[in-house]
Amino acid sequence: MFVSQSMTREVITINKDADIFEAKDKMTKHRIRHLPVVAKDNRIIGIVSDRDIRSALPCSLLKDYDTGKVREKLLAFKIKDIMIIDPFTVSLSYTIQDAIMLMQKTRVGAFPVVDKQGRIKGIISTRDLLHAFINVLGIEESGTLLCIIAEEKIGQLKKIVDAITEENISFGSVLVARYWDEGKKAVFPYLLTKKVSHVKRKLKKMGYTLLDPTEWYINQIAQDN
Amino acid sequence: MNKTGFLYDERYLLHNTGPYHPEVPARLEAIYSGIKDTNLLSMLTLIKASSADLKWIETVHEKNYINRFKDACLAGKKIFDSPDNQMCPETYDTALLAVGGILDTIDLVMKNKIDNAFCAVRPPGHHAEISKAMGFCYFNNVAIAARYLQKEWNIKKVGIVDFDVHHGNGTQHIFEQDPSVFYYSIHQHPSFGYPGTGQEFEKGSGPGYGFTLNSPVLPDQGDSEYKKFFENDLLAAFETFKPEVIIVSTGFDAHVDDDMSDIRLSTEGFSWIMGKIVKMASIYSNGRLISVLEGGYSLKRLPELAKNHVEILLNS
Ligand SMILES: [Zn+2]
Repeated sequence: MFVSQSMTREVITINKDADIFEAKDKMTKHRIRHLPVVAKDNRIIGIVSDRDIRSALPCSLLKDYDTGKVREKLLAFKIKDIMIIDPFTVSLSYTIQDAIMLMQKTRVGAFPVVDKQGRIKGIISTRDLLHAFINVLGIEESGTLLCIIAEEKIGQLKKIVDAITEENISFGSVLVARYWDEGKKAVFPYLLTKKVSHVKRKLKKMGYTLLDPTEWYINQIAQDN
Repeated sequence: MNKTGFLYDERYLLHNTGPYHPEVPARLEAIYSGIKDTNLLSMLTLIKASSADLKWIETVHEKNYINRFKDACLAGKKIFDSPDNQMCPETYDTALLAVGGILDTIDLVMKNKIDNAFCAVRPPGHHAEISKAMGFCYFNNVAIAARYLQKEWNIKKVGIVDFDVHHGNGTQHIFEQDPSVFYYSIHQHPSFGYPGTGQEFEKGSGPGYGFTLNSPVLPDQGDSEYKKFFENDLLAAFETFKPEVIIVSTGFDAHVDDDMSDIRLSTEGFSWIMGKIVKMASIYSNGRLISVLEGGYSLKRLPELAKNHVEILLNS
């Protein structure tokens, strides 16, 4: 999974000499929060976010700042005055995981995606990553979530997957998460079927504990607090 | 005492879903025996099925879909559209009989021959989309019933209450833009149960915004949670909407002994729910209520649940 598959390819950019209002209008019109600033050769030179714009403008309670004298003064500000220079970028070969980790670390909401020459090829935002995550979970298709408690040893997941596959059931996803008992894992297969009672009985017969997913959830909250 | 209709036909048993499938003919036999063995049959108006005219199916489903379904059946296909939908050569005809029987039942209600009715049909319908079969469903029985009420009987506002443990994605999608049909569903929370739709924030769209209402219930919850949702969500909504006829998607699969879900509704909980719905029908819709079977897979519990269901229709 590479960012090139999940990024937004049609990037709305802005010129460094544009004024703040132009940037604000562009964001509103396209419902986006980041505008990469590019040079003539499409190389990225900066980025401006809706937060940068907001802090450059006077308080929005001052209703008439976009008219008259105040506006004139504000028009003098250019994007190059408020943009982040040399922003974080990611390359086309970054994985989704890389982008998520970088986002968590830098607390930046969107990264321009650039080629080797630094030319913009796309942008990847929290919104794109959320969409990629929904895709990974497989939850856009109809299905049922199971929660299975398994010993943390090699081969457990295979047994579970095999048992489900034997029933001719397809998987939307399989997630594995930590569990509050040491040496155990919670396995969450998302099955693309409504017909789960038979396979649930089968897994129980194999010795697995099937848990109500909320039980797991509530215990996690207790653990985290 | 109400005049209550009971739609049941042995031909509903002919839809055979093959091995390892919970949606079996024995479900209907269990429901029938629960009503027969407690001597309720003589108090009911018995209704037999007839095949629906295709023009009514087409008020909901695309022609192309209907033909694909028919052809798949004729060709002896064992599965249609999704692996859950296992079928046999009789499935298409049985699905037409299910709809036809419900439409005949509506005629009886609208002609005041009966007050309300329980339609024990197979296959179920609430997952069926305009052009996709899924979740054991082929034709969306209640959606077609609502359109029939509007087109044939000039009913302006239809209220659908769906208490099957699964969300009726098909019914919701068919009416989500339509303010003349209110769809309410209470079901296991979509993150934990099939089909994954029916979040609290799904409220309809366009002119239909506000005419879809979902109450997702977390696993392991039961009677008290259902009562809370019913009273806070549905009762208030219908007080405003005032349906002229109420259609119920009746599923018994939220029962604690039904292993299709992790909801723990008791037998008494089902009676409480149905009592509330019948009461709403008497307030807003002149008692006119048509209950249509969806799921419910515990062969052990279906007899008592069906018996109670019918008794409430009769006695309230
Ligand atoms: Zn169901």
